[in-house]
Amino acid sequence: MSTLDPHACRLRVRYKKDGRLAHLGHLEVMGTVMRSVRRAGLPFEVSNGFARRMRIQFCQALPVGASSVAEYFDLLMPEPVNADEALDELRRCTPPSLAPLEAALLPRRLPALEAWADRTQWDVLLDGGVDKQQFIDGLEAALARGTLEFMRGDKPRKLDLVSTLVSCDASASEEGLRLVLQTRATERGSLRPAVLVRSVAGCEPSYVCRMGQWHENPDGTLLSPL
Amino acid sequence: MRLAREDLFWRIEPLLSMVERPSRYLNHEWGAVEEQPGPFHVCVMYPDVYDVGLPNLGLAILYDELNRLDGISCERAYLPWIDMSALMRERNIPLLSLESSSPVASFDIVGITLAHELVCTNIVEVLDLSGITLRADERDEDEPFVVAGGPSVWNAEPVAPMFDAMLLGDGEHALALISECVRDGRAQGLARVDILRRLAKLPGVYVPSLYDVVVDQTSTRWGYAVPKEGESVPEVVYKHCIEHLSDTEPVAQRIVPYLTVVQDRLTVEVLRGCARGCRFCQAGMTYRPVRERPKDQIIEAVNRGLQTSGYDECCLSSLSTTDHSQCADVLHELYAELGEKGVRVSIPSQRLDSFGVDMASAARSSRKTGLTFAPEAGSQRLRDVINKNVTDQNMDEAARNAFENGYRRMKLYFMMGLPTETDEDLRGIARMAERVAQIGREVCGPRSRVTVSISVAVFVPKCQTPFQWEGQLPLEETHRRQHVMLEAATDRAVRISYHDAETSLIEGVLSKMGRTGFDLVLAAWKNGCRFDAWTDQFDFDRWNDAARGIGLDLEDIACERFDLDARLPWDHVSPGVSKGFLQREWRRAVDEQTTKDCTMNSCTGCGVCQTLRVSNDLAGERQ
Ligand code: SF4
Repeated sequence: MSTLDPHACRLRVRYKKDGRLAHLGHLEVMGTVMRSVRRAGLPFEVSNGFARRMRIQFCQALPVGASSVAEYFDLLMPEPVNADEALDELRRCTPPSLAPLEAALLPRRLPALEAWADRTQWDVLLDGGVDKQQFIDGLEAALARGTLEFMRGDKPRKLDLVSTLVSCDASASEEGLRLVLQTRATERGSLRPAVLVRSVAGCEPSYVCRMGQWHENPDGTLLSPL
Repeated sequence: MRLAREDLFWRIEPLLSMVERPSRYLNHEWGAVEEQPGPFHVCVMYPDVYDVGLPNLGLAILYDELNRLDGISCERAYLPWIDMSALMRERNIPLLSLESSSPVASFDIVGITLAHELVCTNIVEVLDLSGITLRADERDEDEPFVVAGGPSVWNAEPVAPMFDAMLLGDGEHALALISECVRDGRAQGLARVDILRRLAKLPGVYVPSLYDVVVDQTSTRWGYAVPKEGESVPEVVYKHCIEHLSDTEPVAQRIVPYLTVVQDRLTVEVLRGCARGCRFCQAGMTYRPVRERPKDQIIEAVNRGLQTSGYDECCLSSLSTTDHSQCADVLHELYAELGEKGVRVSIPSQRLDSFGVDMASAARSSRKTGLTFAPEAGSQRLRDVINKNVTDQNMDEAARNAFENGYRRMKLYFMMGLPTETDEDLRGIARMAERVAQIGREVCGPRSRVTVSISVAVFVPKCQTPFQWEGQLPLEETHRRQHVMLEAATDRAVRISYHDAETSLIEGVLSKMGRTGFDLVLAAWKNGCRFDAWTDQFDFDRWNDAARGIGLDLEDIACERFDLDARLPWDHVSPGVSKGFLQREWRRAVDEQTTKDCTMNSCTGCGVCQTLRVSNDLAGERQ
């Protein structure tokens, strides 16, 4: 007897991105995930209309070059499946550096992941040469100004640092200066670790990894996607 | 110099964040063969960027086949884009393979696809970046054997000095034989030249360094190749030809790329060869005879390929897919099975005369992208000259079928500068496009957004075709004729685009020259030419300067006509179609006489079947 809830037709999967594949762009990751789903033979809904596409939702784009242990996608299915079996099948059909780590069935009707998961924790490493105190001073100065001004391509951009940076813990390690950043996505933008490091320390981070994503309740408590 | 086999990914990794599209250099794609134990190592390479090269089916076939063999491993390499190659040169990093990130110059064999004439300078770039000695006859004993293959080997001479061996015809089994020959020769301690002599005995293998080029009164100014004195190599090397396509693995393409590539889909080759006999078409002459893959094998392959790759589109590829005797059935069956899964099935371009109602509805999954037809010429007279056996009525019926089946966009391919072309023929192109647009409005309503795009290429006379003796149009005349056509097209639903006349001229030059062409290729590369097939990289002035620097005039070369009985620079390599047949076809062209397709009528005597001891291999009856 199946005990699957007939309304739980959303398979939410947490997956990683590491090694060489950290250099993949968001579209490339999306394409690969969709092909992995097809290879795994999982049932999926297809959109109506002329271009019949797989109904799948992704979380906010991870910057090219960044790793992650907390990427998510939601696959909408015509009927519920066993999440553990689906995870096994997916694992078999996905390149190891994008391996799925966890899966669960969720109710069909949920807000889109991209907007819902608005809090992120990052692990960031700066190669030797950046002094901890100097970085903290620079960050405080930036927070005092309130906004970050930077270039995206050849366009100047501004971002409200006070609302998008929740916290930043810096610690010196053998490999260099390590930052643990908590960021928040707002309607007016979200903070990318490389942008912060560039503005504050004037260098590129040598390693960026998304460690977790959550939804922030109005009272500030965090809700996990799974 | 032969480099050591070692993993050098660590040297390019820091560069990845500095270049466009880093996923070109990552490897680890789904389906790639990561384990490369060898001990004999082959690297197959497409001399353009990854995104253009990865979909190449020929290389996929060789990769798949070689990696199944015991003791032989096969990796891939592509030419890095200019940003990456500049960084690699700056840091002294040699060109690397993808799978093991080993220097290309550490391999036993490097196989390079000659996809078209415009990759010539890229081949120089590949060898230079790899650190492999440019000229085959100057290579050290232990350097890799550099082997060419692919659709553009038929005028081999302008690139021949860079290759130890060139493979003519079908690659299946042939590269394996070449690999075994080199491996065994090395194991026996043979000198490089002795291994080359052995290679020259294999079917379809031409070894340029064992031939001399002679220029005399019987030849053109580019001469002809004859066996070097004392070398027992064939005067004419015939292509290697497999008898049945059904004996080959139908799902050769197993690697699924991360980045969007030129043809991002599963490709299943359903048919090889085309006997329609279009007189300008090199592939039509060089891929004969026609070999069809049977329907059941196609359906099984498509399903298996989609399952293992995860693609949501499949292309049934060939030179002329709608000619396949079971094409409509295949399309119907696949569409019924796959349509609901959101999988599209496409065919590269449609024949006008075989595009019936059933095909229009079966191919409906490509409705959004529109249909592509190639009438090639705008008048019946000129279509008879080029042996394009389609009529205005075929065009009108195909257009009506397509519009009635919901298509709104139509793309038509034409050529200009064909032998005997007049301004009236050019105006005919505009008239034909306008008539198609008119049919579209009749069927779909006057306000429907029917568009007819016509793409007009410049005719380039290709070797091994009945038009190989022809000259190309001079640049000024090409521009004048483009103007004639533009003036004739007044319907706003018709959009005209042209191929660049200067790029076509270089293609013509490289299609015509003999071994001297290598001096030009080298001079052009030294002048900065590479990625000549990329419009934003192609630089005609650089080519012109290079030519002038060695006393050549590009237009003069491309526009030259050859005598019908002259010995040609490519007479020593043959796809099996006889020169006599090509001469006869040339005369029939001048007389505006057409020649029928031997898969639907009797043999027309091209010579392939007798020479290569093969025959057309159809899966059913063609109509
Ligand atoms: S020899 Fe005859 S049957 Fe064979 S491909 Fe040529 S024309 Fe066709």
